[in-house]
Order: sequence, then C-alpha cells, then structure tokens
Amino acid sequence: MDYYTDAILRALQLIVSLDSEVIQVVTTSLKISISSTLIASVISIPLAILIARNKFKTKKFINIILNTMLSLPTVVVGIFVYSLISRRGVLGELELLFTPAGIIIGQVILIVPLITALIRNVIFSMDEKLYKTATSIGASRYQKFKLLILEARYGIIGAVIAGFGRVLGEIGISMMLGGNIKGVTRTITTAMSLETNKGRFAFALALGIILLSLSFLINFVTYFLQEGKNYASR
Amino acid sequence: MQADKIIEVRNIKKICSEKLILDINQFAVFKNKFNFIIGGNGSGKTSLLNILSLIDQDYQGELYYRGQKINRDEQNLKLRRKFSVIWQDPYLYRGSVFYNIALPLKLRDINQNIIVRKVKAMASRLEIENLLEQSAHTLSGGEKQKTSIARALITDPEILFVDEATTNLDEESIRFFNSHFADLVTEEMTVVMVSHDRRQIKELADQITLLKAGEIELTQKIDNFKFENFGAGIAVPVAELV
Repeated sequence: MDYYTDAILRALQLIVSLDSEVIQVVTTSLKISISSTLIASVISIPLAILIARNKFKTKKFINIILNTMLSLPTVVVGIFVYSLISRRGVLGELELLFTPAGIIIGQVILIVPLITALIRNVIFSMDEKLYKTATSIGASRYQKFKLLILEARYGIIGAVIAGFGRVLGEIGISMMLGGNIKGVTRTITTAMSLETNKGRFAFALALGIILLSLSFLINFVTYFLQEGKNYASR
Repeated sequence: MQADKIIEVRNIKKICSEKLILDINQFAVFKNKFNFIIGGNGSGKTSLLNILSLIDQDYQGELYYRGQKINRDEQNLKLRRKFSVIWQDPYLYRGSVFYNIALPLKLRDINQNIIVRKVKAMASRLEIENLLEQSAHTLSGGEKQKTSIARALITDPEILFVDEATTNLDEESIRFFNSHFADLVTEEMTVVMVSHDRRQIKELADQITLLKAGEIELTQKIDNFKFENFGAGIAVPVAELV
C-alpha cells in the first residue's frame, strides 16, 4: 500500500513544484495538440458545412467514409503517415519524421473526420428557418456562412474540444511519428509509457494526473457549452 | 407591361418531390398596394411567396422586377435587400432582441449610431423597447413576432412579404397586429400578404388572388371580391369572435 501512497505523494509533489521535466512534456504535448486541432478545425468546419448544406451525388458515399473514419485506430494513421514521410516515402525529402510536424500531420488526419462528423450533425440539426431568414434579411453568401457559424458556435466549439481531447490522449501516432525525443516530440502519453517502463512510476503518475485533469476540464467545458444551465436562453 | 406592376410572374412551375405544387402562367404584384394571396391549406400560397421574395430560387419559369428579368444567383443580392419577409413562425438568432432587429442593418454595413437610433425608434413603435436587452430565445410568441416585424421593417423595404403572420399568435397579439400593421407600413411600401384572416383582408387588401391546388383560381381588386363564395378558404379571425 505504501508503494501507491508514496507514488501518489511524489507525483503530486512533482506537479506542485512545477518540475521542469513535467512542464516540458506537458508544454510539448499542448503545443502539438493545439496546433493539430487548429489545423483540423480550419479544414473541418467548411467541410462539414459543405457536406451538410449541399446536395451532390457522392454525398452518401462521403458520409459512409466519414463515419468509418471515426473509429480509425491511431496506429493505422501512424503507419499511413509513416509510409509518406519516412525517408523512402513520397514526402521523405521534407524530413518530417520524428518532428512535431510529423505528429501534427498524423493527428490532423485522425481528428478531421471526428470534428467534421460532429459539426455536420450540428448543422443537420439546425432549423431550416435559419437559412430562409438569413436570405430574407439580405445576407450575402459569406454573411450566411458567418451567421450559420455564429448560430452553431456552441456545437462547433464542442466538436473542436472533442477533437482536442482525442489528440491529447492518443499515443499511437505520437510514438510512431514523433519517436519520443526528449524536449522535441515527447508528449504526455509517450512520456508516460517510457517512464513507466523505466520504473519512474511517480513521474508517469504525475503526467497521468495532469492528463486526467485536462480531460476533466475539456469535458466540463464541453458540457457547459452544450448543456449549461443558460443553454435555452442563449 | 403595366407601370404599376412591380413584380411579374410568367409560367412558373414549382416541383417538390416529383409533384407539381405550383403552376402559374401569369401573376403580378401591384406597386404600393396590399396584395393578398389566399387559399386553403396546400394551395401553394407560401410556395408562391417564397418564390416572389427570392427565398426559393429552385423553380421553372421567369420572374420580373420592374420589367427586368430577375437572375437566380448571388447577383440578386441587391434586389433581395429591397425585400423583407415576416414569417408565420419567425426564427430569431441567438442574442438579444436588439441584435436581432439590428442584424439586417449590420449586414448592410450601416453606421452603428444610425443602427442604435433606428432600432430604438422601431422598438418603440412596436412597444418592445423594454425587451431590447433581453435574449430573443426567452420571448413569448407575440413578442417574437413583434421582434420579427421590427426586423423586417427596419430596412424600410420596398416590398414587404407577410406569410400568415398572425396564425400562431394569441388573441391580444392578433389585435395588436391588426390595429398597428397598417400604420407601420409606409405609403411607398408594397405588401404581399398571405392570410386567412377575413378581417385583415377586408381592412387592408387592395388586390386579392385566390389559389387552388397550385393554380390561380382568380385574381382581382378587393372591391369586386365576394367573400361568401370563398368562405372555406378564409377563416373568421379570433378577434372577430370575441
């Protein structure tokens, strides 16, 4: 029992004392996750609106592909991107393997389907009168797009946060494409795996507590945005 | 083309789920008049209003504004901005009543000081100035409709389209609408109104068009219109019963 108590106490001590190594891992992780979430959002928001609001022949097919990609295993994305950016891959010359950019590419591929599908569902569920009203009050095409984003903002933020949560907690892509290089590509999850294997249980536990706290915060914000007490009056 | 026709419809067909729901050879909206469109449920009144107000551009046939053919793309934005619509069940955007009324002016890049002045004046005319800071999603049905009327009138539209604006309202709101609506509309405004309300028709209409199964049964000046022959399509308003 002392083993656990001791580990938890030392983990908390590492967090409270703002241990430089812990801070470095968390910062790297947040930088990579925020970058990939932002890039994925820029792709996903217009894509979701395009799918939800337009009629085209391949729409059903695209929706099936999108839904399939929701359950994409991280290692599959890892292998796919590895084949592209490794030395012999088509993008090998760019030397992206074992760099933060490499991880970001993989994570973007991982969460674009997730964010797109969630936002698509938000747009689908919006009142058709929203579009008719926008036209009737004299909105241009761009202004209609802006109004739609504003109306769906809580759902969109929720989808983006869900994407952020997914990349923050993934390990397959970060490990395969990042290589777990200290101070460069060592993220919370890859560091936890490595440090546990090395026997630094308290250090891994400290990162685990931080990851869990971040996940709780993400879920809390998502819940508050989507179902908070003032939801009806917003 | 006659000078007093502001919008003209030629050979319009609207197909919905492979069913022909509107088939109109000729129809005109007369300038500075109250043009009423009446008819039973499913007669195509709202479909026609949606086409006339350029909300629905998915139809066959041609539409003319002051003798000029109307394009069916983003180019008609300038024309769309001369029109306003009051819906039966209005949609208000997230935000305050002020935001909703001001929105059409913001979309037209009007100066903020002018927006504030115009919104306050319009809210006062509709007796909703005390609601301006309130969230639009907390309003009652009548307050929502008043907000949507203010939003539609704030741009001084050349043509105002009204789609059964009082159908979902309570007695008091219907009374307010009937007693204030004519005053809210300026003399330069043309009104196209879909309504079942016999009192509204009697008091406001200049021109009346009766639709039946997507086709025009008759279109004429109100003076010659005999309500007795078309009682089934025109409801007796609640306000008239009390």
